[in-house]
Amino acid sequence: MKYTRRTFLQVTAGVSLSALVGCEKLPIELGLAPPVRMTPDLLVSPESIEKDEIAHVIDRLSFGARPGDYGRVRAMGIEAYIDEQLSPEGLDDAYCDWVTRRFTTLQLPIGELYEYREHLLLNDLTRATIAKAVYSDRQLYEVMVGFWSDHFNIDSSKGDCAWLKTADDRDVIRKHALGKFPELLRASALSPAMLWYLDGRENRKAAEDEQPNENYARELLELHTLGVYGGYTQRDVMEVARCLTGWTVRSHAVWKLGKVEFKPELHDDGPKSVLGHDIAAGRGAEDLDDVLDIVCRHPATAQHLATKLCRKFIADDPAAESIDAVATAFSESGGDIPATLRALFNTEEFRIRRGEKMKRPFRFIASALRATDAKSDVREELLEYLVRMGHAPFQCPTPDGYPEEPDRWMGSMMWRWHFAVGLAKNAIPGTKVDWGGLFGRPDGEPGFIADTLGRIPSADEARAYFDSGLGVALLLASPAFQRY
Amino acid sequence: MNARGYLTNTPSKTLVVVYLRGGADGLSMVVPMDDDAYYRARPTISVGRKDATALDGFFGLNPELAALHRAYADGALAIVHGAGSEDSTRSHFEAQDRMEHGGNAGGGWLGRYLAHSPNFVAGPLSVVAIGKAQPMCLWGAPASVAMESFEQFSVGDTPPGFISELTKLYAAENDTLASAARDALSAMEKVAALKADSYRPANGAVYPAEKFGTGLRQIAQLIKAGVGLEVATVDLDGWDSHFASGTLMNPLMRRLSEGLSAFYADMGKAMATTTVVVMTEFGRRVYQNASFGTDHGRGSVMFVLGGGVSGGRVYSDWVPLDSDRLEGPGDVPVTHNFRNVLVPILQRHSTLADFKPVFPDFELEPLPLYG
Repeated sequence: MKYTRRTFLQVTAGVSLSALVGCEKLPIELGLAPPVRMTPDLLVSPESIEKDEIAHVIDRLSFGARPGDYGRVRAMGIEAYIDEQLSPEGLDDAYCDWVTRRFTTLQLPIGELYEYREHLLLNDLTRATIAKAVYSDRQLYEVMVGFWSDHFNIDSSKGDCAWLKTADDRDVIRKHALGKFPELLRASALSPAMLWYLDGRENRKAAEDEQPNENYARELLELHTLGVYGGYTQRDVMEVARCLTGWTVRSHAVWKLGKVEFKPELHDDGPKSVLGHDIAAGRGAEDLDDVLDIVCRHPATAQHLATKLCRKFIADDPAAESIDAVATAFSESGGDIPATLRALFNTEEFRIRRGEKMKRPFRFIASALRATDAKSDVREELLEYLVRMGHAPFQCPTPDGYPEEPDRWMGSMMWRWHFAVGLAKNAIPGTKVDWGGLFGRPDGEPGFIADTLGRIPSADEARAYFDSGLGVALLLASPAFQRY
Repeated sequence: MNARGYLTNTPSKTLVVVYLRGGADGLSMVVPMDDDAYYRARPTISVGRKDATALDGFFGLNPELAALHRAYADGALAIVHGAGSEDSTRSHFEAQDRMEHGGNAGGGWLGRYLAHSPNFVAGPLSVVAIGKAQPMCLWGAPASVAMESFEQFSVGDTPPGFISELTKLYAAENDTLASAARDALSAMEKVAALKADSYRPANGAVYPAEKFGTGLRQIAQLIKAGVGLEVATVDLDGWDSHFASGTLMNPLMRRLSEGLSAFYADMGKAMATTTVVVMTEFGRRVYQNASFGTDHGRGSVMFVLGGGVSGGRVYSDWVPLDSDRLEGPGDVPVTHNFRNVLVPILQRHSTLADFKPVFPDFELEPLPLYG
């Protein structure tokens, strides 16, 4: 632990944590005017017995519909909604900024992050991540932030990642989530958190008998770019590792902790050969650019990313034609992420395979908070649900990130129901739903139910809603709400 | 895809991890009766040869642990002496961190083990931490629930129609989700039926009526109820015996041995598929201090109970306590890294072949605990 003035302040603050939480609540309770959010259209809600295209596209581009989203997208048109979400910088997000303004550590430069106790940083980052998933109007952007956080997974409990993940989230994932893949990859390769997490900082060749640390090189090929069946060999892994020797992170210095540096004396400067491309001797730090360029252009990378994106947005078993279309867009656009996603959203399969995906616990929680327009300051009691369901952000220990496959999440049913009951009864500390206001919309409770399901309820669902004695909890706990 | 409900895939084995927090003194628990240096180093706080229960001619059990002798004599209890981690800071925080983290990697060792184990199925009661919170060793587990009582395992208070309507909605479906829901409903029903006051342990076992004993009883109840319990953790805190070590340790040792022996008796034959491993962050200094206690040391003991372990013996590469091979200021050296004790156990419980991701940066030499 580092003892500094700020640590002292943080420790002192920790003593009166309950008082602090009380203060955080004040603005909402006192009604100090928050910025106005995007105007919902509460006059129209889904009318069909099956999910229509509007409800489906909202489901997939967001963490779930808020009341009024359906009406808004129906009025503006699906294509305009997709355009809007692919260009998030055009969307005003003042309300979300207002909600997350209290998470002050998110903006700190790397050096200052080290002055904090690590659990405070993880706490801010986790709470902000959930708050943004729920409250940001840049929903597709947040969905992609989640996608890349899994793709370039970093467990904050490894070494200095506890301090550095905050910067990785900001300077790597969020900076490039809807940007260009090559830039995202380069930022990740030189992220101090990633250099810690996959031991890149230990990868050196200072003496003749020193062997490179292959950890990052392997995951770069296997997870981040080509994919496990992407056609690389063990020799490629070793050659990539050689190319990346010498990149380190300052960890014991008294100043500029966390700074990434290239040390020529730790670099293997001999000639290398990566995936059939020769890299001349003596290129030093430029080896890294050469390697990233080679892997970004490799067709297996396009195929691997297209497959993952199709599984994320279409179904667990997307058709080969869809994957090919997305991979082509990726290659032709030089890894432009919005262009790649647009091709995906334009596949026929994307539009017709509705309600087939199972929500992972994070999405379940976020979608329930969105559907009920809950006000939450995202306290410990809310995070606890994600821990129990094994889906707390930034705590996945394996470099492949939390799995997309539904099997992994099947043990979470009881806690989903527990959450649904708690939310319905307003029993989750720090999280409140204004049920009166929610049902007071022009089309009343039926409108709320249809917005929540993305369709009108079946006869069985309608009967269960009323016979259960706790309809809203039943709705959120029902099979339909576990899928999207 | 076949439904992989955890109830239809009840684990064949259960692992119970007991953590003695505070640095439990191995030399007081399992006494090196035949090492005179032990008696010279601890003139007032040693356990007399006549008082200890002889184990193998060299070691003896502290009288407060005498209840454990039954399992030892049955061959179901193995003791590892000189166990610990490579952490030499002698700091509780650092040493617990090192041991529970299990190396420079994300998550805790149990969490990583479960995440990598091919035969692990994450159900609502696959992994249970008895206590308020998940211990660090479970960080990164695919699923885990921390609970102090069975009442906490439910969806909360609901109107009478709620569960039945929920059951009906899921009954109408027939995919993986529906079978997972049916498993969860059935687990809730089973746990609801586990009332502490109506539980009668088998074979006349009596659990001590305190937190640790109650935790072990709850674990036994869950195993017997067949709810898919694969890993459970329970802590016994307060071993930091700097001062008057006997006064401090005796009641703890009694709780440990009475709790474990009740569990052993209660589980009966099922002990063959249940392993209990007991660990602590470090042992204590060989020589006693001026306040009749001992300070932070290095090697301590680990206990491995059940699960087919080749027990009835103490695994030890004993370093005589007057030897110059003692560590630092005079501490029992760690001759058995905790990982080498855990890995053979985990190998019995899982089909996982490669333990490198579980314990990175460490040359594993699993202790042959299974003969």
